[in-house]
Amino acid sequence: MAHQAHPYHMVDPSPWPLTGAVAALLMTSGLAIWFHFHSTILMLLGTVLLVLTICQWWRDVVREGTFQGHHTPPAQKGLRYGMILFITSEVLFFAGFFWAFYHSSLAPTPELGGFWPPAGITPLDPFEVPLLNTAVLLASGVTVTWAHHSIMEGDRKQAIHSLTLTILLGGYFTFLQALEYYEAPFTIADGVYGATFFVATGFHGLHVIIGSTFLAVCLHRQIRHHFTSTHHFGFEAAAWYWHFVDVVWLFLYISIYWWGS
Amino acid sequence: MLNSLQAVGPVKGGPVKYVFICCVSGIPTDEEQATGLEKIIMETMKEGKDPYNMLKPKSYSGTKEDPNIVPSITNRRIVAVSVSEEDNTAIVWFWIHEGEAQRCPSCGSYYKLVHYDLPH
Repeated sequence: MAHQAHPYHMVDPSPWPLTGAVAALLMTSGLAIWFHFHSTILMLLGTVLLVLTICQWWRDVVREGTFQGHHTPPAQKGLRYGMILFITSEVLFFAGFFWAFYHSSLAPTPELGGFWPPAGITPLDPFEVPLLNTAVLLASGVTVTWAHHSIMEGDRKQAIHSLTLTILLGGYFTFLQALEYYEAPFTIADGVYGATFFVATGFHGLHVIIGSTFLAVCLHRQIRHHFTSTHHFGFEAAAWYWHFVDVVWLFLYISIYWWGS
Repeated sequence: MLNSLQAVGPVKGGPVKYVFICCVSGIPTDEEQATGLEKIIMETMKEGKDPYNMLKPKSYSGTKEDPNIVPSITNRRIVAVSVSEEDNTAIVWFWIHEGEAQRCPSCGSYYKLVHYDLPH
């Protein structure tokens, strides 16, 4: 088999980092072209290339780990570090938006009326749909933990059921939030309130969609018997990400929806 | 939900048989499903061996009778000693070749190369 005397994974040459970089370039420059010249072709091309890169890169990771056995304990440890570092970077990403919110809301300027919520803004009632959304995400945190324990205990049926339930709850959150967005009495253009509200909750919603997709991929892999009771890091990474999304929502709810109302 | 089925056979033109290969409730174990290097490492570690150098090197007293054993897949290996003498602030690096035990150039501890083959 291998001629290496170490347990690490020296990855074979791959085109996906390059196609991913090209996709990022096309998407960003395409965004600028759309803004100035009303043409979306470059941006759409970049998005298509991004999706193709994502599917094929992670398909290769599954092939290398599950089908070829390259994910030895030290290799898996590296993947764990990687996921933790990535989630940490995402925490810092959201920290910026919370900073922006608190900057404007702790010392509201005279233009806003000197108070928060600013003059003319009717905030959403935190004890209506936002509270339901909180319950939905907390419940999904329970079901994903249930799924993890099912996998560790070797219970296939419960693992599939609880993981499916987690994804359904994530979808329900997204559906409810979309309705809220549609019905909200204020928009992103409504001063600093609208800007901080929709940018923070908008990026959170995007992360819910990403997390739900990650969990859906795990469900597909679980059905296809990829995971063993002791080696299922893809699922653990998805669960970590999902808990992160849940925690960000809790901060959003407390800060923007509740304190900010 | 189907439990995991494994095809067994066919036996001389007879029908292909299927047997359950998982534990009763359906999720495979690494025992059943690990493959490649992960499987090799899992199996050799069960025998107490560490051919892929995942663990810290064993420490020996380093005397001529009890030299530090340096496993190698060829006929020489670099050794790096971090605390060759008590107050060392740098790592001491040296080659060890097959044959008699050789000594660390700084502290004089004995090191002996022992050849081994990688499991395939």
